[in-house]
Amino acid sequence: MLNKNKVVAMILAGGKGTRLESLTKKTAKPAVSFAAKYRIIDFPLSNCANSGINVVGVLTQYESTLLDSYIGNGEKWGLNGVHCLMSTLAPRQTEEGANWYKGTADAITQNIDFLDNADPEYVVILSGDHIYKTSYAEMIKLHEDSKADVTISVIEVDLKEASRFGIMAVDNKDRIVEFQEKPKVPKSNLASMGVYVFTWKTLRKYLKKDDKDPNSDHDFGKNIIPNMLKDKCKLQAYRFKGYWRDVGTLASLHEANMDIALDKMELNLYDEDPTNRIYTEDIYSVPQYVGKNGRITRSIANQGAIILGDVDSCVISTGAIIESTSKLTRCVVMENATIKKGARIHNAIIAPGVTVEGDAVINVGSDDVVLIA
Amino acid sequence: MRRIIGICDLHNEPSLGELTAKRPLGAVTFLGRYGLIDFTLSNFSNSHIDRVYVLIKNGIVAIKRHVGSGSIWTNNTKLGFIELLINEKGLRYPSFNTDINNIQRNIPLDEADFDYAVIAPSYYLSSMDFRPIIEKHVKSGADVTCVYKHVDNADTDYFRADKFVVKDGKITKTSKNLGRVKEADISLDTFIVSKKILKKIVSDSVKVSELFSINDMINYYVEENALSVQGYEFEGYVVPILNLKNYVEHSLNLLNYHVRSLLMFKEWPIYTTTHNTPPALYGKDADVKNSFVANGAIIKGKVHNCIISRDVVVEKGAELKNCIIFTQTQVAKDVKLEYVLSDKNVVFKEVKKLQGDPDNIIVIKQGAKI
Repeated sequence: MLNKNKVVAMILAGGKGTRLESLTKKTAKPAVSFAAKYRIIDFPLSNCANSGINVVGVLTQYESTLLDSYIGNGEKWGLNGVHCLMSTLAPRQTEEGANWYKGTADAITQNIDFLDNADPEYVVILSGDHIYKTSYAEMIKLHEDSKADVTISVIEVDLKEASRFGIMAVDNKDRIVEFQEKPKVPKSNLASMGVYVFTWKTLRKYLKKDDKDPNSDHDFGKNIIPNMLKDKCKLQAYRFKGYWRDVGTLASLHEANMDIALDKMELNLYDEDPTNRIYTEDIYSVPQYVGKNGRITRSIANQGAIILGDVDSCVISTGAIIESTSKLTRCVVMENATIKKGARIHNAIIAPGVTVEGDAVINVGSDDVVLIA
Repeated sequence: MRRIIGICDLHNEPSLGELTAKRPLGAVTFLGRYGLIDFTLSNFSNSHIDRVYVLIKNGIVAIKRHVGSGSIWTNNTKLGFIELLINEKGLRYPSFNTDINNIQRNIPLDEADFDYAVIAPSYYLSSMDFRPIIEKHVKSGADVTCVYKHVDNADTDYFRADKFVVKDGKITKTSKNLGRVKEADISLDTFIVSKKILKKIVSDSVKVSELFSINDMINYYVEENALSVQGYEFEGYVVPILNLKNYVEHSLNLLNYHVRSLLMFKEWPIYTTTHNTPPALYGKDADVKNSFVANGAIIKGKVHNCIISRDVVVEKGAELKNCIIFTQTQVAKDVKLEYVLSDKNVVFKEVKKLQGDPDNIIVIKQGAKI
């Protein structure tokens, strides 16, 4: 068949993201804004586009309205082309009844028909709330070359922190020999990133089996991967090199924003290679304006922002207004938030549309990140 | 429902010198982010005029790159369109390359299904709602409605624009503004005509003069009293871009928030094409005051009263004052620029200092390495 798509990506984007507190009250975590211009899900979606993956399903569940309309037909990431298919997949009623997605694996199981229609050789499972830039092509090639049933992307973490992750023990060919979910005594420092390449036929078989198991949590990390390991399937580790962050908490979201503002360039958004950029929605607003008495250093700001105050080490999003005589340090100001005159704020995330009253003093001198919502 | 088409007429654009040497005025960058044509296309879009023709004299590539498929300005992408039209014959015979010949060649007026056409140029920037103008045109029964602006700076700003004598709403005389008076009713070269009148303009031009533009024909009708030509006074803010001095002065004036809010407002967005650029990045020693900075820019030096376009890099130690810098220009360490307008892809490296003044801004050619 001409132009058959060999690879389909499925992005898990249904989680509630409770640890982001009220940022996710009406917004699914993958739709939370990041780095002044983007939403978190722009990263995996742009990675798919830049990897030549044309068929993408986004599994949504919690507060999916905004996320669904944001994703639309995939045009923002160029995924509306002639060989492309972009689809949001929310739980639905079927002949068998109606179910919420009970776990990450169940979300895929309930969409086996979507995958059968696409009929890929490989399925890439991604998380909708990771910040990183990569081409999945290299990982897919490793999967093919090593004739694996599943290839799992792993990243080296500090051994001390390893007990927070799913840890993979590997042999000298990076074959996974053991999987430990949040182990007390980790056997390696290779943590799973929750990014998988599966051979579709094999995954399909394991999903069907898992679906019938009443004791299963229907989760990739807890059930599918351990079951495949138990059955002596070929599990390959792919060592990811580069910047990768799970921005599941306020502190980690803040820190990842700071990494960009402080120009650490571990995640290069300014890549000159046009096939290595992150795409997003474009807002129709004037360029950003810095006022006569404004000051902005060690920061990023998006178009439509108005900076009349003093801003250092901050992320200033579209439509945000920083009034004169205010002073912000290490703040992430999300879209359309307003900081009134004379306010002083440190180490904070200011939620979209929030107005901080004049002369307010918030979190100054503290090392902890606060959310102003 | 009235069926309206928009015609954005790029045939009679004034020259901005070096800036328009290789591109139509409509494709010239404005405020670091827009193309000048965006204003007219957005006025059509916001006025719910979804079928738009752009009449291009030459330089179609620059317009094509900017406008793309036109979907940015189009409401329903099946029903609406932006078509870029050139008169191929006109390329061989430049003096016959008129807007009228372009329409005649490319828009089949006999079959076209529209009742009225709005014709507007690229060089008068405004946020103009065409709907009340069309309403008034229809109610008045006039053959042509010309939009004009009553100005009190005709001596400085609208040199060689057309000016009208308006009596009881009718235009009775037209002439060139030679800057001898302050107050004048200046034509915004924006016209409303029915399909019938547009057809008449096209067919009459063969008899009157094949070198005439739509504008010339309307002036002719006024002079001969051959059609009823009505004036519509536009009360909103207008930025005329009739020469380089206009362009520079008005660009820098728009840094003033008050002036900007007269031209552009939230309910009337100016749409433009997107380039997937990341947010602007400011370094530790960035010193930015009273400036527009577009996305993708990296600012590590001093930038005062400037307009900085997409993907411009200003290194640490560089100093820019009252400059307009087009896309992808690089200003190296310790380069000092004042009243400099740099076209795109320029590299400032060897030159240590360039100093222009408000009346003589220094223009640096596209792609120059100095």
